[in-house]
Amino acid sequence: MPAETVKHFEATEASAQTLLGAFTRGGYEAVSPAIIQPAGVFLDVVGESLRARTYVFSDPDGDELCMRPDLTVPACRLHLERHPQASVPAKYSYDGLAFRFQPLGSGLAHTREFRQTGIEAFGEVNRERADAEVVTTIAAGLEAAGLASYQLRFGDLGLLRAILKAADMPPRWRQRLMHLFVRPQAFKAELARLTVEPGAASAHIPAELRTLDPDDTAGAEAAVTRYLEANGIEQIGLRDIPEITANLLGRVADARSEPLSAKTAQLIASYVAIVAPARASVRRIRELATLMGIQIEEAVGAYEWRLELMAQSGLDLERAEFSADFGRSLAYYTGFVFEVVTPGLGRRSPVAGGGRYDHLLKAVGAPEDVPAVGAAVHTDRLVTALANGTTHANGGAP
Amino acid sequence: MSNGTPDKLILAVPSKGRLMEQTAEAFAVAGLTLRKTGNERGYRGEIVGHPEIDVAFVSASEIAWYLKTGRVHLGVTGEDLVSEQMSDAATRVTFVKKLGFGNADVVVAVPDCWVDVRNMDDLAEIALLFRRTHGRWYRVATKYLNLTRRFFAARGMSDYRIVESLGATEGTPAAGTAELIVDITTTGTTLAANGLRILDDGLVLRSEANLISSNVAPWTEQTRAAMADIARRFTV
Repeated sequence: MPAETVKHFEATEASAQTLLGAFTRGGYEAVSPAIIQPAGVFLDVVGESLRARTYVFSDPDGDELCMRPDLTVPACRLHLERHPQASVPAKYSYDGLAFRFQPLGSGLAHTREFRQTGIEAFGEVNRERADAEVVTTIAAGLEAAGLASYQLRFGDLGLLRAILKAADMPPRWRQRLMHLFVRPQAFKAELARLTVEPGAASAHIPAELRTLDPDDTAGAEAAVTRYLEANGIEQIGLRDIPEITANLLGRVADARSEPLSAKTAQLIASYVAIVAPARASVRRIRELATLMGIQIEEAVGAYEWRLELMAQSGLDLERAEFSADFGRSLAYYTGFVFEVVTPGLGRRSPVAGGGRYDHLLKAVGAPEDVPAVGAAVHTDRLVTALANGTTHANGGAP
Repeated sequence: MSNGTPDKLILAVPSKGRLMEQTAEAFAVAGLTLRKTGNERGYRGEIVGHPEIDVAFVSASEIAWYLKTGRVHLGVTGEDLVSEQMSDAATRVTFVKKLGFGNADVVVAVPDCWVDVRNMDDLAEIALLFRRTHGRWYRVATKYLNLTRRFFAARGMSDYRIVESLGATEGTPAAGTAELIVDITTTGTTLAANGLRILDDGLVLRSEANLISSNVAPWTEQTRAAMADIARRFTV
């Protein structure tokens, strides 16, 4: 186990201070969220997979706590402690350690303790403006720290949602596809299955439960009750007969639906495969929408407007690439996502990243959804990238 | 454990119950007589005629821990306990020989009345619906926190909560403290008696008692020789 948190203490401190300075000048109030967090909040939001990457422990009172695996949820909790109704907009910046278990062992770019210097913007209803501002603020901070050579990767989960919503299919399929999006293989398999035999997923359910009548809920519930009695099955646990029946009826409806058209499935698959320079991707997505015969101009327009705002703030969009399937592996993002990649460290170790997460504040305790977007610099990686010589000719951090 | 001389091989075997008896039988078949030294309720022992080996009687779950940390060279314990306690079992230990007893399956089981949930895909499918109805993810009671997490993660499932259960796990769904369980079973009778059904593809691990060596114990020429001797007797 390493005995030192960082190898280049002074360089790391200097870079962190430069970033924090740039962020506070941009109007992001510097705050210090707690390092030790209640584990339950993270488990609810991220799910059990959190345990695989997070130091979760019990304190002497038996409370389940964790070392923060990032600073976004802690910043949300800080905001709600100050404003329980989340009724005021706020912009925060922070600089501190985050902790993650590294299953393959700790490496230089993947350490179990790492520095995050970042920003979060809560409650700004003009989403595209807030998105663009976060990207340009992070880019400005990185450049102030001396980073010259980097690429941007963009993704937008809002576009996928718009495409699924506009495509002709039952709501259940839409939900399932959105849910499966984080698992590329399963997503592909589900798309293929829906075009052939939407009822196949229920073929293993007992036959008498596959022929329930979706228009007769009471009758269906009675049939399920009879099935349990006939087979001597006791009803135990929280899921009662109406809840089980509702799911069975959804499956019956699936099985009776027209299969997804092969053309629609093909076009959804081709959307997911889009990788293009950011500017050019707008045209590609519009062409696809026309081919599918769907109306998603609101989402495409928002995407285009966000790019325009970034360009107006002086961001060089030639550096930016759009990738439709980017955003898949990230836990709580709901819309725009981005990463900053350097040639030396590569895609597996981005120096910064972030995105929009409009459901997170509610999950942490706000009375309703609050627009939220943020990003953090992986400061140790930034220092490595700077040391690798991707600096400005005239210096910056060592 | 390692307060013996550094050249002695330390072997850990289960300290009680059926597992201890079956271990002694398996060693006897291999021509090795396990015996406690000193007090009958003590925790130290020997293999008759093998002064180069020290035997430690410890609980089966501790044996996995001792192998993982290298406090013993060799041990007898279940695969379920080894897999649960090590995310990197292959680098920490070597499975020398399956011993043919202690057979049991670690399985995912749901209430039998969940007639709409027959396999892991069905289980994943109800996650969102359950959350919408009850305001939280469904709970999985288990003592196998890591096995459960890995099994669910390999199927892309994250939308659930684990509730640690150290006893009578099969009773938690009826008691209302969990919705489903991951537990060890030999015949499935206890599960059925508690109104539970194993999912069609819910086999997490097929376990039996194994003779296992530690890759991280302080091996010397002498202990290697002692280990080779034992391994040979078990593999003929």
